[in-house]
Amino acid sequence: MEAVTQQIPLEHFLVLSALLFSIGVYGVLTRRNAVLILMSVELMLNAASINMVAFAAYTAPQAFTGIIFAVFIITVAAAEVGLALAIILRIFRNRGTANVDEVDELKW
Amino acid sequence: MTVAQVVFYFIAALAVGGALGVVLMRSTVYAALFLILALLAVAGVYILLASEFLALVQVLIYGGAVTVLLLFALMLTRTGDLPETMVGAQWPLAAVASAFLAGLLIATNATTDWPGDAAGEITAVPFELVGETLFRQWAVPFEIASLVLLVALVGAIILARQEEGE
Amino acid sequence: MGMTDAWVIPLLPAAAFVVLLLFGPYLPRRGDWLAIIAIAAAFVLVFPVIADFTDALAEHGAEFAGASNSVEWMTVPDNLELRLGVHVDAITIVMLVVVTFVSLMVQVYSLGYMRGDARYGWFYAVLSLFAASMLALVLADNFLLLYFTWELVGLCSYLLIGHYSHLRSAAEAAKKAFITTRLGDVGLLIGIILLWNDTGTFNIQEVIAAAEAGAVRTEVLTASVVLIFLGAMGKSAQFPFHVWLPDAMEGPTPVSALIHAATMVVAGVYLVARTLPLFELVAGGPELVLAIGLFTTFLSATMGLVMTDIKRVIAYSTINSLGLMFVALGIGAPAAAMLYLFTHAFFKAMLFLCAGSVIHATERQDVSQLGGLWSKMPVTGATFAIGALSMAGLPFLAGFFAKDEILAALTQNRAVFALTLLTLPLTAMYIVRVFILTFLGEPKDAEAHAHAHESPPSMTVPLVLLGVLTLVSGFVVFDQVGRALGFPGGIGEVIFLHEPEVLDFDVWVALGSSLLVALGIAGAWYAWLVRKEIPVIAAHVLRPAHNLLVNKYYLDDFYQAIIDGVVLRTAGILAWFDRSVVNDTGVNGPAETAGLMAYLLKFQQTGKLPNYALAIVVGVVALALVAFSIKA
Repeated sequence: MEAVTQQIPLEHFLVLSALLFSIGVYGVLTRRNAVLILMSVELMLNAASINMVAFAAYTAPQAFTGIIFAVFIITVAAAEVGLALAIILRIFRNRGTANVDEVDELKW
Repeated sequence: MTVAQVVFYFIAALAVGGALGVVLMRSTVYAALFLILALLAVAGVYILLASEFLALVQVLIYGGAVTVLLLFALMLTRTGDLPETMVGAQWPLAAVASAFLAGLLIATNATTDWPGDAAGEITAVPFELVGETLFRQWAVPFEIASLVLLVALVGAIILARQEEGE
Repeated sequence: MGMTDAWVIPLLPAAAFVVLLLFGPYLPRRGDWLAIIAIAAAFVLVFPVIADFTDALAEHGAEFAGASNSVEWMTVPDNLELRLGVHVDAITIVMLVVVTFVSLMVQVYSLGYMRGDARYGWFYAVLSLFAASMLALVLADNFLLLYFTWELVGLCSYLLIGHYSHLRSAAEAAKKAFITTRLGDVGLLIGIILLWNDTGTFNIQEVIAAAEAGAVRTEVLTASVVLIFLGAMGKSAQFPFHVWLPDAMEGPTPVSALIHAATMVVAGVYLVARTLPLFELVAGGPELVLAIGLFTTFLSATMGLVMTDIKRVIAYSTINSLGLMFVALGIGAPAAAMLYLFTHAFFKAMLFLCAGSVIHATERQDVSQLGGLWSKMPVTGATFAIGALSMAGLPFLAGFFAKDEILAALTQNRAVFALTLLTLPLTAMYIVRVFILTFLGEPKDAEAHAHAHESPPSMTVPLVLLGVLTLVSGFVVFDQVGRALGFPGGIGEVIFLHEPEVLDFDVWVALGSSLLVALGIAGAWYAWLVRKEIPVIAAHVLRPAHNLLVNKYYLDDFYQAIIDGVVLRTAGILAWFDRSVVNDTGVNGPAETAGLMAYLLKFQQTGKLPNYALAIVVGVVALALVAFSIKA
């Protein structure tokens, strides 16, 4: 392994991750369409991945645990998207809408 | 300013811009397209972090499968031809909460003394070692992950299947 | 059977009560014979006790104070010891004779009077319970047992006054009796507890001994004596507690005869006689008794002049007599008081039973509807005459001797003597008035007169027996008679405080009182028989005074005003407090608050996913802020 001089401090990557995560949170809270909420969730997952990989690269490159972790995150994200979309399709078929605001039976 | 830094800022801008597009775009398809942009930018970040394999996986899975799946779903759940018009009623509070969250995370990052930081040095990782570790030390989680995929597959089929006469 | 076995005597009517309570409805004739047998047996058993007492007197002489016998009931170690026991002395003997004999007479009388009554069996049951309680009361050797039986007789009085349960007035009268005497009873209880606090015992003789030895603090003794007297005032219908006795006439006449003439109302006299040593130790104690008794005597005598209901007049005369007894006690002559109690029981009970006979025959109680019954009911008339004259104090009848003894004891105190003398013509006048208006003259209600008939033997035999006793019982005053009955020193030796009291026969007092009595009788004769218009003119001329008397000095209205204004109003405030503060705010408040909170909080469950997600994020941010600030 060679050391690649990047001169990008670790904090930059972490800030990027934080920003992406927060934007993803905003999207989850604000979007009405269920699929778009799912997209925001993907953003959050990716932000987490960036975090993992950055730490792996900067602090413990020999173990590359972060990279493995990122692989698993991607795996689980893919599985989750598939399932979530199946559920959304189900709801859409039952109610004719994918708008989460209109799925509110469990209310007072 | 080194080349790496310029590249980093450019890719970061792409990622953030794509993310903003996802959450702010009124048209759902445009939002999906911005998502692709964001995800590809993340792949670029991975390359900067000297894990090309991960970038590959990212592009393949996310850019290829997930976004296509999302676009399909958008198509199937379309109500009329109206684009998504509304933003949720709670967007002020959500904005504030997200801002706080961002602020907190960044503040935590800035005030912590991360170990092994040195002068921002990244060590490249050989591809083979990743595979070796994955199938050796991480064999069990790997198997479980594949099981997760299987379950998701079966679940998705069952959930989305149309019954007779439905 | 000796004095120490006297506890058997109350048990007999008590057993009769239990049997009648449980099995009354199934016994033939509802078990009245059982009650009568029980009380007759109790009466018979009194004589061996008397014999034992006279033997003890002969043996120990004047020093003999009485015999006691008690068993332990309940003990709290180092704190409280409750005993049940009997104490027999001279006062007890008198009361035992009176209670058993008059109860027996009344129960026999009720065979005729209460025949056909709907609650006949229950009547006899409560009569038995009353006899048992009263006997236990006079036998009690400690204050606590006395108080229990005191309350029991009050209960029996309440039950019996309200016997005609379909009458609203009877229920009200029973309530009034119970509540008025209750006020006195509370005083009695507090007095008993005060005495126990300082002496450590409930036993009456021990308390008296301790008080005389100085073990009780002065203020405690004064307070407890006054409080005990309050209890006596309540039960014996002294002013201001006298208001319940006239109303108690709502009960059947046998009840009035037994309870409100001969036995229960004299419980107060008995109590004061028993605790007289305590009264003598307190400055002003006997004077208090004297004053209340004298005032009550006058009060009731004046009211008796205008009342028109037979029973009520006799009730006022009872209050009159009780006042006289308290006067005797207050002046320090308990023997005279007990003698008057003894004779009064007979002639007052007889008077009531005669009144009952009249009521039974004519179904009328008001003298304005009676008259001229002498020809129709000779036995009743004759016995009523004897009783009335005895009450007035005609020489050689029982009342005469008893009153004279009281007057003789009063001669030291000029003012009280004069006042008491004044009551004599008043008493004579009103009691003779009732006799005249009922039995003599023209019948005022022809239908009642036509219907009148002499009562059956079950009613007239007791009347005659009591009449005979009224004629002769006064003579026990003489030493010769006393010795003949078995008392070596005459009756006077029997009842004494510290030394034997000599019952004199003062000729001058006797002459004076006889003169006044004759005056009163003549006056009544003249006013109500000869010149009948006199009372009417007097009522017209003395309109204010007449109104005052007829309205019972407006005392009842006064009490009712206090009850309405003070008691009910306070109760209203407390009820309001209970309702709004305790119930609405204290009990319902938390429940309604919980409900309100739940109502407000439920709107949080909107069912919308973004809302829940926002809640999660806000929570995480808040927690992170806290953690961050702590770390910093």
